[in-house]
Amino acid sequence: MSLVVFSLLLFTYYSVWVIILPFMDSDHILHTYFLPREYSVILPGIAAVILLLCIGAFTAVIMWKNRKPKKVD
Amino acid sequence: MTKLLEWLFGVSLVLAAWAVVSFDLLKLRLPQSYREAAWPMPLYLLVSFGCYSLGTVGYRVATFNDCDEASAELLGQIQEAKQDLRKKGLKI
Repeated sequence: MSLVVFSLLLFTYYSVWVIILPFMDSDHILHTYFLPREYSVILPGIAAVILLLCIGAFTAVIMWKNRKPKKVD
Repeated sequence: MTKLLEWLFGVSLVLAAWAVVSFDLLKLRLPQSYREAAWPMPLYLLVSFGCYSLGTVGYRVATFNDCDEASAELLGQIQEAKQDLRKKGLKI
């Protein structure tokens, strides 16, 4: 259930950040809760890179553990 | 027209519409706030698809029912198999 709540929160925050904030005036109080707009592109990019790193590291560890030495006659 | 071509055609239409709005290719001179909201759209759709996947997985894991009957049946079958194998000489 916490995963559902987390994904809902993330979706709401990101939606407000990307879609609703450009239509608010610059001196609206809502802007204080959000980072500058460049970060709305940079942060998901970093998250994607970290995800790919984790998947690659996991695959490498599993393949390393399963290597078989060559048989010697 | 294969399915792949249909999808590619649809995707390129959407991408063209996005590019026209984001980079002002047709010199439409839309208000700045519309352009600001439009240009992260591909990334936004990707992030919302990720959130939807995460939420669906979490919800289905949380509401997965226990199967008590199947669990009891399985334990009984394990006991049966162990007795059978012991009779045939396997040490368990």
